[in-house]
Amino acid sequence: MAITVSPGTFDFVSFDAAYIERIAGIVAGQLGVTDIDFSVEIDETSALNRISTDASVTPVRIMVHSGAFEDKRRPRQQSEIDTTVSLARCMLRARDRLRGGFASAPTDTELTLAQAAAWDTYIMARLSRIDIPVNKQAWHYNWRNRHGFNDHSDAAFERMWQAESLDWDQLSSASDAARSVSA
Amino acid sequence: MRKFMPADELARDERFSQTTQRDRMADARTTVVLNGDQNRRSNNRLTPERNDASEAARALMHGIFVGEIQALEGAGRTCWDFTTGEEAPFALKLDMARQAWDEARHVEISCKLGDWMGAEIGQYVENTVLFEAACSNDPVLRLAGVNRALEGLAIDVFTTMKEFGEIAGDPYLEFCEDWMLADEVTHVKMGSDWLRKVTENDPERRKKALEFQNIVDKMFSYGGSRSESDESSLGIARRFRELAGFTDSEVDYVAEVSMQALNERKAQIAERQAAAAANK
Amino acid sequence: MANASKARAPFAPWDRREIAGAFSVEETARRAGHYKWTEMKLFEALGGWIATVPELDVKMRLGTHCYKHAWHAELWHKRLPELREMNPDRLTLPANDAMVRFIDAMTEPESPDQTIEKLVGVYRVLIPRFIAAYTYHMNNTSEITDMPTIRTIKFILQDEFDDLRDGEMLLQSLIDSPEEAERAAAHQARLEKIMVEAGGITGPGSIGFN
Repeated sequence: MAITVSPGTFDFVSFDAAYIERIAGIVAGQLGVTDIDFSVEIDETSALNRISTDASVTPVRIMVHSGAFEDKRRPRQQSEIDTTVSLARCMLRARDRLRGGFASAPTDTELTLAQAAAWDTYIMARLSRIDIPVNKQAWHYNWRNRHGFNDHSDAAFERMWQAESLDWDQLSSASDAARSVSA
Repeated sequence: MRKFMPADELARDERFSQTTQRDRMADARTTVVLNGDQNRRSNNRLTPERNDASEAARALMHGIFVGEIQALEGAGRTCWDFTTGEEAPFALKLDMARQAWDEARHVEISCKLGDWMGAEIGQYVENTVLFEAACSNDPVLRLAGVNRALEGLAIDVFTTMKEFGEIAGDPYLEFCEDWMLADEVTHVKMGSDWLRKVTENDPERRKKALEFQNIVDKMFSYGGSRSESDESSLGIARRFRELAGFTDSEVDYVAEVSMQALNERKAQIAERQAAAAANK
Repeated sequence: MANASKARAPFAPWDRREIAGAFSVEETARRAGHYKWTEMKLFEALGGWIATVPELDVKMRLGTHCYKHAWHAELWHKRLPELREMNPDRLTLPANDAMVRFIDAMTEPESPDQTIEKLVGVYRVLIPRFIAAYTYHMNNTSEITDMPTIRTIKFILQDEFDDLRDGEMLLQSLIDSPEEAERAAAHQARLEKIMVEAGGITGPGSIGFN
């Protein structure tokens, strides 16, 4: 496995490329993706909390705006937890795409807001089960914003959160069904 | 207990971390669109359509929460800092005590909303600019700073959040923001009425107060976070500001300085980013 | 149905209110002025302390209680002209010098690690004195001539009891070591001594004893 982090040094934030690489290595081990090469590319000029993954290329590209690795309590400083969670989110999405039945899923930029929220729910639930710190309520809120604030939507969220093995068709159908009630 | 408290001594428990506006402005990263950058959002207005809407709303809610704490502290300090009669009329202080109760409820509401949205207390850094900028040692300036600039900003924030709740179909958020908005309109109106009354026979003092308010208003535009441009996450709530006693020209002024703040911030960031690129 | 024109006693058999009361108009106004002064000092202190306490629940309670005491001061402010004091500020006074010293001592704690002292002064010393003075006044004034004062006190007492309970529960949750219990007791004793010297909110005779 090869993990590269760019840039190697940072001007806008106090991040440490070697530290990011170490965390990425640990997370890759936890997720069983040590056979995949990753390129972690950080846009340090943006404070946005934004990540995306391109699994169609080798190495898999993980694109991160600096806000996604940042300690929100200490601006411009790196947060180990946020770095871990953001990398894990991207790596798990890449794993889903490469060998988890998500080959037919649209690219990250083409996902609808509801599809992205459903996939994130499925990802974050699995991360929480391997002891990566996840605030379930935050992801429930994200789900509700995309699928509606009602009992039907909440029940669908709970099913998604408990799901162990879904493919893209199952996930997108569940998302569509949850949204149909709100619509 | 002494009169007048510096912002860096506001008491907080261990969960909180604080920053100043100066530190915030020293951050050369951007959250706004720069020319030709397709990788960023084309619209920063906080609406559910944004990709990062949930996270952005949660962060703003935490900002509201700490802002309400500072507003509570500011209203409370006005009860204490100024001598009744000589420096501040009795009835004005009664209004400030009432405002303290309202702000205490707003802190409670913000805590509940934070839970609802999945935020944790202290998850985000607290900018103490509200207390720092608004809490002047002159009671009339404080009225202008707290009740018109700070509470005016609160009207803009709550209107944005209420609309967010409406569009997302979030009944809890919409309900809470609507109630808080009602209180804020009352607080601004209180400030408008008192400012007029206290400076009735002192046009020079009134002018000074309004100038101070303008400075604070620009500061509270947070380098363009609030303006009528879609590049700002918060809009300017013209209708509710008018209800609260702002004249059309006053609202126009807020819109103008906010736009200036946005443009200045964009230029500043572009300059710093260009300098950093040149050094690479 | 009874005959509507039949004569009835002006006071029903269950209405045992009496004209007699312990206080003249002047004495009532004097007491009202002291109540107003002390409620003012209390709401101002509570407001000032909000920014000095780190405990979030205490911070919010102080904001809530600040308004209640401001409202009490306003009620007394409005009652004074009804008691022939057309300039309410003239009677808005401390009962005596000791009362001024009491307020100074009560409002002295400022540091963020002195929440216990702040709360002890208000909820274990001053508010119990308010409850005592108001109760004495309510029970001794004329139930007919001074009913407006009684009504005011009843509203205020409801707040005082609620706030006393809030404050006491906050204190019990904050005091969790023998050292803190001693700190609380020492501060209470210090303030209580000054309050004894003052004789209560309205001075000697606040609760009938001189």
